[in-house]
Amino acid sequence: MFSYFFLTMAETVGLDVGVDMFEPRRFCHRGPAGCNHCGGIVSESLVQRLATEGIRLPDTVVQRGIESYTLHMDVGDVEIATPLMEKRIAAIYRGNGPRESVPLDTHSFDGYLLELAQQKGARIIHRLVTDVRHEEDLMSVHCADQYCDKYELVVVASGVNSRLLEMLENQSHNFEPPGRTKTFICEFHLGREVIRETFGPSMHVFLLDIPRLKFAAMIPKGDYVTLCLLGHDIDDDLMERFFSSPEVRNRFPGAIIPEHACHCYPRINIRAANPAYGDRLVMIGDSGSTRLLKDGIGAAYRTAKAAAKTAVFHGVGAENFERHYAPLCRKINRDNQVGKFVFSVASLVQKARFARRAVLQMTANEQKQAVRPRRMSGVLWDLFSGSESYTNVFLRTLHPAYIGGLLWNLVVCNLPGSASRNGSTQTGERGHVQH
Amino acid sequence: MSSTRPPGEKPAVPSFRIRAQQLEKLPPCQAQCPNSGDARGWLGVIAQHEKNRLTLDDAYDKAWEMIAELNPLPATIGRICPHPCEELCTRRDKDGAISINAVERFIGDWGISRSLPLPRAGSASYPESIGAIGSGPASLSFAYQMARRGYDVTMYEKHDLPGGMLRHAIPDYRLPREILDAEIDRVLGLNISVIRNTDVGSSIGLEELRDRHTLIFLGIGAQAAREIGIPGEKGPGVISGIDYLQQRKQQPQSQQGKRVLVIGGGNTAIDAARSARRDGALVTLLYRRSETEMPAASHEVEDARMEGVEFRFLVSPTGVVRDGTKIRQVLVQEMRLAEADEQGRRRPVPIPGRFEKLPADTVIVAVAQAPDWGSIGAMPGTQKWLRTREDGKLDEDIWAGGDDRGPSIASKAIAQGRFAAESAHAELRGQEYPRVSNVMKAVRSGTVKTDFYCEQPRAEGHHRSQAEWLSDPESEIDQTISYEQACQEAARCMSCGLCFDCQQCFMYCNGAGFARIEETRPGNYFALALDACEGCGKCIDVCPSGYLEARDG
Repeated sequence: MFSYFFLTMAETVGLDVGVDMFEPRRFCHRGPAGCNHCGGIVSESLVQRLATEGIRLPDTVVQRGIESYTLHMDVGDVEIATPLMEKRIAAIYRGNGPRESVPLDTHSFDGYLLELAQQKGARIIHRLVTDVRHEEDLMSVHCADQYCDKYELVVVASGVNSRLLEMLENQSHNFEPPGRTKTFICEFHLGREVIRETFGPSMHVFLLDIPRLKFAAMIPKGDYVTLCLLGHDIDDDLMERFFSSPEVRNRFPGAIIPEHACHCYPRINIRAANPAYGDRLVMIGDSGSTRLLKDGIGAAYRTAKAAAKTAVFHGVGAENFERHYAPLCRKINRDNQVGKFVFSVASLVQKARFARRAVLQMTANEQKQAVRPRRMSGVLWDLFSGSESYTNVFLRTLHPAYIGGLLWNLVVCNLPGSASRNGSTQTGERGHVQH
Repeated sequence: MSSTRPPGEKPAVPSFRIRAQQLEKLPPCQAQCPNSGDARGWLGVIAQHEKNRLTLDDAYDKAWEMIAELNPLPATIGRICPHPCEELCTRRDKDGAISINAVERFIGDWGISRSLPLPRAGSASYPESIGAIGSGPASLSFAYQMARRGYDVTMYEKHDLPGGMLRHAIPDYRLPREILDAEIDRVLGLNISVIRNTDVGSSIGLEELRDRHTLIFLGIGAQAAREIGIPGEKGPGVISGIDYLQQRKQQPQSQQGKRVLVIGGGNTAIDAARSARRDGALVTLLYRRSETEMPAASHEVEDARMEGVEFRFLVSPTGVVRDGTKIRQVLVQEMRLAEADEQGRRRPVPIPGRFEKLPADTVIVAVAQAPDWGSIGAMPGTQKWLRTREDGKLDEDIWAGGDDRGPSIASKAIAQGRFAAESAHAELRGQEYPRVSNVMKAVRSGTVKTDFYCEQPRAEGHHRSQAEWLSDPESEIDQTISYEQACQEAARCMSCGLCFDCQQCFMYCNGAGFARIEETRPGNYFALALDACEGCGKCIDVCPSGYLEARDG
């Protein structure tokens, strides 16, 4: 996205610049070789925002149709409808589909952006960068095949699933690469029919009391379902507990976990790079600052655009990035601090059955009734989708009506003999609790 | 899974583990090479010389040594081999196969220009005496492999100069004498003696040689030309392709304005036709099938055409019409192609009543050759061709290789000489017989990710134009590629089935399962630590050369 914005902005001010994009991968490959390893969720608002920037994602890239979240907990399930149309979410493939798949009628999101940048005039160099160094007041880029070239600005968008940032850390004692944690993503081939019947137009989110698991989601994409597990250092034990839980098994036909078509253990950024810029050097997206656990593509968009704007209109020195790029990173980082708190509260809910009952009941009630605002539903939606800043989410949880509603449900659901506590709640349609 | 589960209970979760392993595989070039030439290996040494802290000169020296381990005549083979190694090169469908042959030729010339010595195989010296009959590529290869292992070798050559068909049948414009001389001299420099002008069978008996030497290698080639058996064939003006080429090498004769018909579709026929053109003749080559079925190398056919050789396909000679002893015409029958034979080539069948008379002064018959057993007499296992064990063993103390086991290319003769030497050495030393065929697992089709590699056009040596050729017809048509081109071409090699330090596994492994090795060499850059492997299989997916693969289980 940086290349696209940079070339577009440079054109508007008559700046004659060239951009070389180093990307060894081909996003036409299926499986991890042509993938950027993420769950592939973008908010509808981001899709619209990109469209206004001239990045119109075609239908082959955006797998629209996710109109609700279904929250699964041991105390029951509840489907949460999209609060507003612009808050719908879209699913994308970062690569060209799962490893064990036939060619799909889909197009890689990253591949599409690469083509777009190319159309803008960027040159794609299919080489693997293994080192970036300051040399004679320029930046030199070194590749595995010993290709080397010099540039006035290097933008690092390698993400945290590459060792490039580690190489930069080894060179500069002042640079601290982003903190990472291990996640798990896999793909199951279930077929469109089964997915329509079992998952519907809904992304399924699991809030289960499994240590170190923060969040799990199943996202339907065409013939496949993408499963993402986020937490602290996902390991075999956590995965076995997750897949053994009835809430998960019941998502699959016959309650049997099918063979997967693709899987990986990507890392995600949980702490920003420090600093995310230098002289003639800037890190964007996951390589620099990104949103905690969610909306990585949205953060990539914002940082790419800010970095491009700085480079075109202000300069490529460290002081330029400090003045014009760093504020955005700091804003994201501050919001992430709030996000950490919000997720720690969510973790408490995960651990406390009585709290889970209350959240479920409050959400179900909101979904059943036409009353607005649906405070708990909205908080959960924005927490799951990353559509809103964590600060906004947090502030909404401070609203007296929200607190009052939660307290009321805490009491009602946990009274001896209550329907929630006895597990005899209705099942079925949206807004209904399914035990 | 780390959680406890009763024995025998099926895990609740499917395995999310793809364990990688580093496994070198047989690349298609090596699989196709009759001599199992490790082109990927020596191209890798050149291409990766900087990674391995070698100067380019040192890398070329090293590549020379690697080639010479199996083939003591790289400059020769680099000129005449039809390079089957390039036929299935993975790069072929991307931007052209690697010019393996051209780089081999460069390395061969490099070895000559730097007087690089042939590599010895240890410092032992053995008491056994070894004899080799013939001095063509098979015998030279055998003698070389025995001599470098420490044996005294004596070669018996019926002509005055060693080299067999390389010397006597391949025209200078394809293989200059000085190149062949330089390579043969280097082989003979390994304490190999040549007894010249000695026709085994007439000058010295085979039994006497068996008494004289511990073992004998039979590499007499296939120098007896086959006739086609048509009326008028016997008599002046009709000559075999081999005889014509041999005579011409000794004493070229002008055939200015004469009409020469060459019969045959193999490389000998093409060589004869092009040579006759150089002598000033108007040459027409007759072949009974179509151009598609011609066994001659296609680029040789193209060159012949460029030099003015006419081609008549789907015609078969049925008689030579003479006026007294002088040839006037050749009667030919038109043919058509029927169904394919057992070798897959479409069979030519006559078209009844369709004949033609072609004017001719000379007819060169180059249809087939066979070993000349005349003076040696019947050999064990001899039918038309020698029937040996796969490693060339024919009798208690006799080994054989080259065209006397069936016509083939010089690389195969060199391979057979080598296999025979390796096997003979093992037998003499009481060791286990070496394997003749390569047991390495082959690179599976589609496992090399060709689009990972940057586009780079294939290097070609300068090909002399028609004008250049006309001004000096005996000089080489194809020139050796340059010092820089050889390195660029080596860098095009995709290193099918072997690590070439692309670093993708190292850079993308989240578990840090790949550690850089201190002492690197092609194929050996990273150590894989399975205890760090998370089993995502990403390294296998990103490995462009197909070196990494999933471990069974």
